[in-house]
Order: sequence, then structure tokens, then C-alpha cells
Amino acid sequence: MTTDQNESEHGERGLSPADLQNVRFTRASMLRPGYVDTEVDRVLSRVAEELGRLYAEKAALRDQVRSLQAQVEGVVIPEAPSEQAVRILSSAQQTADNYVAEAEEFSRQVTSEARATYEEEVRQARENAGAIIQAAQEAAAKMSGGAPVGSDTGQRTVEEMEEQVAYLKAFGQATRTQLRSYLESLLDAIESEWGRADPAALPPEAMRPPAQRAASGTTTFVGNTAGDISADEADDGLPAGAGSRSRSRSRSKSST
Amino acid sequence: MDIPAMRANFAKAAATGDEAPLYFYSHLFLSHPETRQLFPVSMAHQRDRLFAALGDVVARVDDLEALVPILQQLGRDHRKFGTLAAHYPAVGGSLLATLEHFDDQWSPELAKDWTEAYTLVAEVMIEAADAAQEQPAWWEADVVGHERRTIDVAVLQVRPRTRYDYTPGQSVSLETDLRPKLWRYFSPANAPRPDGLLEIHVKARDGGPVSSALVRRVGVGDVLRLGPPLGHLALDAASDRDLLLVAGGMGLAPLKAMIDQVARTGPARRVDLFVGFRTEDQIYDRADLQRLEQDNPWLTVTYAVSDDKSSALEQGDVGDVVLRHGPWLSREVCVAGPAVMVEDTVSRLVQHGVPPQRMSSEVFAPSRPGPSVDGEVTE
Repeated sequence: MTTDQNESEHGERGLSPADLQNVRFTRASMLRPGYVDTEVDRVLSRVAEELGRLYAEKAALRDQVRSLQAQVEGVVIPEAPSEQAVRILSSAQQTADNYVAEAEEFSRQVTSEARATYEEEVRQARENAGAIIQAAQEAAAKMSGGAPVGSDTGQRTVEEMEEQVAYLKAFGQATRTQLRSYLESLLDAIESEWGRADPAALPPEAMRPPAQRAASGTTTFVGNTAGDISADEADDGLPAGAGSRSRSRSRSKSST
Repeated sequence: MDIPAMRANFAKAAATGDEAPLYFYSHLFLSHPETRQLFPVSMAHQRDRLFAALGDVVARVDDLEALVPILQQLGRDHRKFGTLAAHYPAVGGSLLATLEHFDDQWSPELAKDWTEAYTLVAEVMIEAADAAQEQPAWWEADVVGHERRTIDVAVLQVRPRTRYDYTPGQSVSLETDLRPKLWRYFSPANAPRPDGLLEIHVKARDGGPVSSALVRRVGVGDVLRLGPPLGHLALDAASDRDLLLVAGGMGLAPLKAMIDQVARTGPARRVDLFVGFRTEDQIYDRADLQRLEQDNPWLTVTYAVSDDKSSALEQGDVGDVVLRHGPWLSREVCVAGPAVMVEDTVSRLVQHGVPPQRMSSEVFAPSRPGPSVDGEVTE
């Protein structure tokens, strides 16, 4: 019997259709016509073996295909989104972006106006205090310098003047503290409003309505002695908001 | 790859302004909804940045030597955003869809070239991200101190939960849960300490969501996330020249860190620090600087105010005040502050005769959302 392949290789390589086609059995002897039995038997047993192997492999592959199919069915293959869906999401996103931008712009405006007002009030309070202190010192110098000349300052003693100076200094300090705490409560309220635009980002305790905060801030402010002064100055202070713009330019220039 | 054709194709999308990035992100979020959570609520700034970065990449696609380090940095830095290797194909798919959508002459060749180019970009970024795997994508850090110094400046003491290495002068990107997915850069104001504490100076910018939250809402016990340190401001390690440090406003922080570095590790040298503010009230760190000055005889601190007539401090722009105290010709110089102040000071010192190679500077812009593709920390 001859085949293309060497006998020893057959077992490892498996049996191919070509192998079968190329099998040539040796003719038997004149006494017994036909192929040699042993050769035929050997080929048959190898064919049977090969078939068995192929069946087993087929079964394994079928199992594999089934499990892969099951996996694929669970997965939704992402389809390319439709043009319409992209348009809708885009405009929704733009709307959201605009709201956020507006909130930030609002916060920016209120904060910078509040700061401008604060700085203006502090400046004016300082100027006023400075002017009063200076006037008091001049008057004191006049009185201690010699006999009272003017009748209008004559009634005041040096002690009174010094007392007033001390009072005004303390008063200036108190005004600044008041303004600062008022401004901080205002900024705090703005911050909570910002947070309300994105409630998930806030701890629950911070969800207090901002009105409460503002109210408590205002109460301390009004309840204090400095309350009436700043109410007086509010008239001067508000238009200062217009001047604040030129100041904020110089601020950005000077870095802080 | 037909690079001129790709550039022409990209130019068509870029010419639509906001429309192409808008299309890209909507396409991405619809086809891969899980990517939405990687981004902030408002996508406006994100869109600008995406196409700016893509434009940079496209412009350099034929200069791999320049491009690869940029991409590696981008890849490493994207880890803190929660970017995974699996997100890259999703982005690539939507990018191709976008480029196709805005080009009537889209062709299979373009599709093939872009796929190839994007695959390359993604591979470099993913590789760099993987190579950085031994350090965390971000560090959680506890706020252990929060002190309001002025109406809008706070000084935070922050302790990272695991070791966080940086060099004085570098910046740290920072995120708070109060403003998710918004990262901003701040410079620690101290050199690395044995106890790991970072001192962070924050000024609440009007309308700035992150800085306002850090100043007015964050408190002791809160947790921040830190990204890897970044930035080019640093002392020349090979030099022991005397130092001239010039700070405008919040630019003080990195320079204070350098003073801390000289105090901790040397080499011994004279240090002159000039700090410019608009008004005296705004000098938020004066007490601490005075303490440093008392502890370290080699340190001199000079304050300048530019808009405060009633102050007894030196009057004028800080660059001007610096020159009044010269000469500074032998110094190594660091300048940090707002753009105008940095420009002004640097040009004055160059005129004064300080060699530019001995000067380093960093601009502190009101919003510092992240490094550009060039690795610049500031905008």
C-alpha cells in the first residue's frame, strides 16, 4: 500500500480526503484475488477513528457557537445615533450650558458689585473718620496752644476731643466688621443659589433656603449701632457701583 | 497617510466653530452613554478645549518627535478624569462620524487615514497612562485647615492620604465634590514636608465656581482630589545664586514654596521677596511672611501697593518697586502673578540687564482649567 504521506505522520495529522483518494492497495497473490485484507482493515480503522474525532470536534464547536450566541444576544450593539437624536441632545446641552453660564455671570455680577460697594463704604468711612479725627486734633491743638479764641470750640475740653477720637476709631473699626460680615452673608447666599442649580453637588444641610441666611445676616446688621450710618451712606454708596467699573479695571491690572 | 487631505478635512469641521464639537459630544454620549459622567454639567469650555487640542495634534501629525511627548502627557493627565483604555475606541468612532458629517467629500481613503492616525494617538496615550500605573490616577486629600484671610482669600491646609511628591513651584490640579469634574490648578505654598501637608492659597474669583466653593463652602473634614503635579516653575538645582522672587497677588504661593525649599534644603543663599498687591488690606499672608523673615536672616520681604494712597508701604507697581531696590544683575529671578504684572516685571528686569535665561515666570490667570497641549499650566 502506498499513500502520499509517511505512515508515522498519519496519526498526528489526521486523515484528509486526499489521503483516502491516494490510497493504493497492493494486489494480493494469484491464489487470493483482491486487496490485502490487513491493509484494508487498517485503513478502515483509521477512517473510523478520524470520523469519531471529527464528530467530537463538531460537538465541541457547536457548544462554543451556542455559548457565543448567548453572549451576543445579551449585548446590544450600539447603533450609530440618528442625526435627529444628535440634534436634540445638542440643543439640550446648549440650553444647559446657557443656564450654567447665566448663573455664573449672575454670581459674578452680584459678587463684584457687592465687593465694590464694600470697598467704597470702607473707603468713605475711613475718609470721614480721618477728617473728623483731623478736625478734632486741630481743635485740640488750638485749645492746648493757648486761651480759647473761638467761642464755638471753647466749650470742648481736650479730654472730650480725645474721647471722641477714640470713639471714632472704634466706630470705624466696627463699621468695617459689620460691612464685612454683611457682605459675607450675602456671598454665602449667592453660593447656595449656585449650589441649587446643581442640587446633587450639595450636602443636604446646605440646602437651606438662602432667604434665611440673608435674613439672619441682615438682622445682625440692622440690630447693630452701625446700622443707621450705613443706611445713611447707602444713598452715596449705591451710585458708587457705577464708579466700581473703572476700579475693577485697575484691579485686574494690578493683579490681585 | 495623506496628511494634507486630512488637514483640509479637519479644517472643514473646525470652520463650523462650536457646531462640530457639539456634534461630536452628542454623538459620543448617545452611542456610549457611560462616557457622559466623565464630563461636567456645562460642556461649553470642554468643547473649546477639545478642538483646540485636536487642532494641535493635526498640526503636528508629521512631527512625531514633538507630538509624542504631548500625547504622553495628555494620556497621563487623563487618568484623573477616569478615562479608561476602553473609552478610546468610543471617542475614535464619534470623531470619525463628526469629521464625516461636516465634509461632503468624505472618502474611504480619509476614513482609513483618520482611523490609522487616531489609533496611533490612542496607542501613545494609553501606553503612557499604563506606564504611569504605579502612581494613583488621583490622590484623595483631607482638608485639615481652612482659614479665611480676607473677604475672598482662604488658606487651606490639605493632607493627601497617600504620599504625594512634587517640587516647589509646581502646580496641583484640584477637584471638589461640590463642583464635580471641574479641575483647577493651584500652587502649594510650601516645599514637601515630612507630615505631607500642602498649603493651598485660593482667591474666590467673581463667578468662579471652583474657587468660590473652595473659599466659601469647603471646610475642615472635606475631601479634595488632587491630580498629578505639573508645571515648569522651579529653582535651578545646579545654581546657588542669590534669589530675587517677585509675586503679584496669588502668585505669592509658588514663591513662598521656594523660600520654604531654601529654608529646608538649602543651598544657603540670600533671598529677596517682593510682594505686590493693590491695597494693603489684600496682603493676606503678611503674618506668616513676617514669621519667615524673623526665622530666616537671609530673607527680606518687601511689600508694594499699587492703589492704596493711605498705606505706608512702598507705592507703585511691584516691578517698579523691585527696580528701585536693585541692582539685581547677579540674581536668579522667579516672577509669578497676573499676566500684565509678569510681562511688566520681566521686561523691566531684562532692561535692567538680568539675562533672560536666569529668569523664570508663571502667569496666574483667573481661571486655570488645565494644561494646554503644550504642557503649559496656564491658559
